[in-house]
Amino acid sequence: MEENPRGWIHGDETAKAMLARVLTERPFLFLPPLHRVPLRVGNVVEIAGPSPSAKSQILLHAAVHCILPEEWKGIRFGGLERMVMYFDLDCRFDVLRLSQILKHRIMEAYKSANSTYWEDNGEYQKYDATEITQMCFCDDELFLACMRRFLYIRCYSSFEFLAALKAMHFHLQRESEALGVGLHFLMIDSIGAFYWIDRACQPMPIGGSKRKNLSLQNVAEAVVQEICKLLQTQPVLVLATKATIFGAGTSGNDAQRAFGKWCSERKMDSRTLSKEGEKLLYREYMPSAWQSFVTHRVRLQALDEIISDGQYGTLPTYTSQWVQPPLNIKDKFAVRDDGIFLIT
Amino acid sequence: MAEFNEPRSKATASVSSSGNPTSFLSRASKCAKTLEEGNRSLSDDAGFAQVQPMMEDWHQPWLNGVELLEDSNRNKHFLPTGYEGIDVLLGGGLCEGQLTEIVGSSSSGKTQVCLYSAAHVADKHFGVVMFLDTCNSFSPKRIACMVDQLSSSFSGEAKERRLKRIMSNIFCHSIFDIFALLDVLHQLEFNLKHQVTSGHTKICLLIIDSISSLLTPVLGGKGSEGRLLMVSAGIILKKLANEHNVSVLVTNHMVGGEGGILKPALGESWKSIPHVRLQLTHDQGSNICNVSILKHTFMASGRTTKFVIHG
Repeated sequence: MEENPRGWIHGDETAKAMLARVLTERPFLFLPPLHRVPLRVGNVVEIAGPSPSAKSQILLHAAVHCILPEEWKGIRFGGLERMVMYFDLDCRFDVLRLSQILKHRIMEAYKSANSTYWEDNGEYQKYDATEITQMCFCDDELFLACMRRFLYIRCYSSFEFLAALKAMHFHLQRESEALGVGLHFLMIDSIGAFYWIDRACQPMPIGGSKRKNLSLQNVAEAVVQEICKLLQTQPVLVLATKATIFGAGTSGNDAQRAFGKWCSERKMDSRTLSKEGEKLLYREYMPSAWQSFVTHRVRLQALDEIISDGQYGTLPTYTSQWVQPPLNIKDKFAVRDDGIFLIT
Repeated sequence: MAEFNEPRSKATASVSSSGNPTSFLSRASKCAKTLEEGNRSLSDDAGFAQVQPMMEDWHQPWLNGVELLEDSNRNKHFLPTGYEGIDVLLGGGLCEGQLTEIVGSSSSGKTQVCLYSAAHVADKHFGVVMFLDTCNSFSPKRIACMVDQLSSSFSGEAKERRLKRIMSNIFCHSIFDIFALLDVLHQLEFNLKHQVTSGHTKICLLIIDSISSLLTPVLGGKGSEGRLLMVSAGIILKKLANEHNVSVLVTNHMVGGEGGILKPALGESWKSIPHVRLQLTHDQGSNICNVSILKHTFMASGRTTKFVIHG
C-alpha cells in the first residue's frame, strides 16, 4: 500500500471483488418485515411492539440465518456463516427455541436437496420424512458449528449491560480468532428492559460533581457510545427490540375509573379511543441519545386474526409498519418454525 | 530511564482504554510500523490480563449456543403439574429456569393449579416447593384432600406416610406486601448462592399466589415507583429461575379492559416479564377448566386444552 499509493487510488476493483464487498456490507436478507428496506452494516434497527408481537422471534430467525453456512457438504443453506452477539436484557431467551428453528432450517435444506435427488432417480416415493429427520439429527457437526457462532450474555441490570458492552470487544476478538469468522448481528432484547429502574434511580452525587451519575440519560449515552465504538471497527448490523411499556390508555383507564363511564359513553367513543390508544401504545420513552442513534424503526402489532395452517394447527398473525423510513405499506405476517411468512 | 518509563506508560494506557481493546488495537495497528512490535503486544497482553478478571466479575458469563443448550439439557427440566392437560400443552410441565404466569378471573382454578402442582412436585421427589401466600389461599387441608384422592390405592398407614412426606417438602410463607416479598426473594437468592445444594433440600418450584395482589396496590398514580418495584420483583424472580434452576409460578387476576373485555391485570410493563402466560377459564357448574396459551417462548399462542379439577 505504501509502495504504490497511486495504484491504490486508481485501482478499480473487479466485479467479483465488488460483489463480495457489497454482499458483506449488505447481505441479502429475506426476513419479513426486514425485507422492505435495504439494510446495511452500520445500521441500527429498532423493532418496537407490545408483548407478544413476535419481536424476539424475528431476532431468532435472523440469528439462525446468520449462523448457518452458505453451503455445507454440497448442500445449500443460504446462510451468512457469521457470528451473532445476543444481549438478553429481558432474560427470556429460550435456547430450545433457537435450536428448534436451526434444526428446522437444516432439515428443510436436506429435504429439498434430497427430494431433487430422489426425483432425479425416479424414486420419489421412497422419500420418507422420518428417514430425513434421522439423517439430519445425525449431522451434529453442522448443528454444533452453527450454535458455536451464537454468542449470548444475560444482563440483570443496566450496570451489567454496560460492563458486558465494555467486555464485548475483547470477547469478540477472542471468539472470532477461534472460529475464524466475523460478527454480523448485534442483538439487544429488549432495550427498554431497565427503563423503570433507571428512571427511578437518583443516586446522591458522590464527591463533588465531577463523576457522572447513573441515570437514564447517562446509561443510554454510554450504551450508544459503546456500540458506536464497535460499529467503527466491525461491519455489524444492530437489531434491538423495544417493548411498548405504556399500555393502550394507561392514562385513559384512570380517567374512566374516576368518572365511572364504563359502558354507555365508551361505545360512542370507541373509534377515537382506539386511535388514541394506538398513539399511546407507541409513546417513545427511550432517552434522546438512543432515539437519534436508531436509523431504522419498524412497529409490530399482534392481530386478533388466526390463520389455520395444515401442518402447525393455528398460527397467530402480526402486522408490521416501517416508521423510519416511513413506508405506507402494512405487511401481515405469521411466524412458523421454518421462517417468517408474509400473508397476502 | 526513558527506556524503562516507556513500556510502563503504555501499559497504563492500555488499562485505561481497556473498555475497547479492539479500537485500541486498531489505533495501535495504524501506527504499528513506527512502534516496536514486541513491546506493544507485551504491554497489551499485560493490560488485558490485569483488567479482564475484574471485568468478568461485573457481568454474567458469556455463553455460546452449545453451552446454553448443555445447561438447558442438564439443569432445566420440566416439572409436571400433575394435570395431564396442562402438562401436554406445555410439553412436559413448568420449565425450570422460567417464570410461568397463570391469569384468570376469580374462581377460575388458579389456586387449585398452584396447590396441585405443589403437591405433585413435592410428591415426585423433584425437590422442595416454596409457596408464597399473599391472600391466605394456601390450604393444607385441600392438599391433604388431593393427596388422599391420589393415593386411594394405598393402605391407611402408607397414605399417612406419603402425606407427611409431601407436606414436609412444602414450605409456606405468608406475605402481605411487596417489600416483604422482595426481602424474602433476596434472602432466598442469598441462601441459594451460598449453600451447597444437595439432593432434596434444593428448591425447585417457587409459587406466588397471587403476585397481583401485592403489585396492584403499589401501581397506578403518576409516579414510577410502583413500576420500579414491579420490574425489580420480575427481574429477581427471573434471576432466581435462571441462575438456580427454579421454576417460578405466579398468578395474576383479570381486570376490565377496553370495551369491558377482561384482560390480565398489571398492565403493559408486566407483560414482558413472564416467559409463559396461561389463561384459565372455568365454566360455571362443571369442574372442567380451559387453559390457553397467551404467550410462550416457543409455542404459538392460541393453543388451548381442557383439564378436570377434582372435587
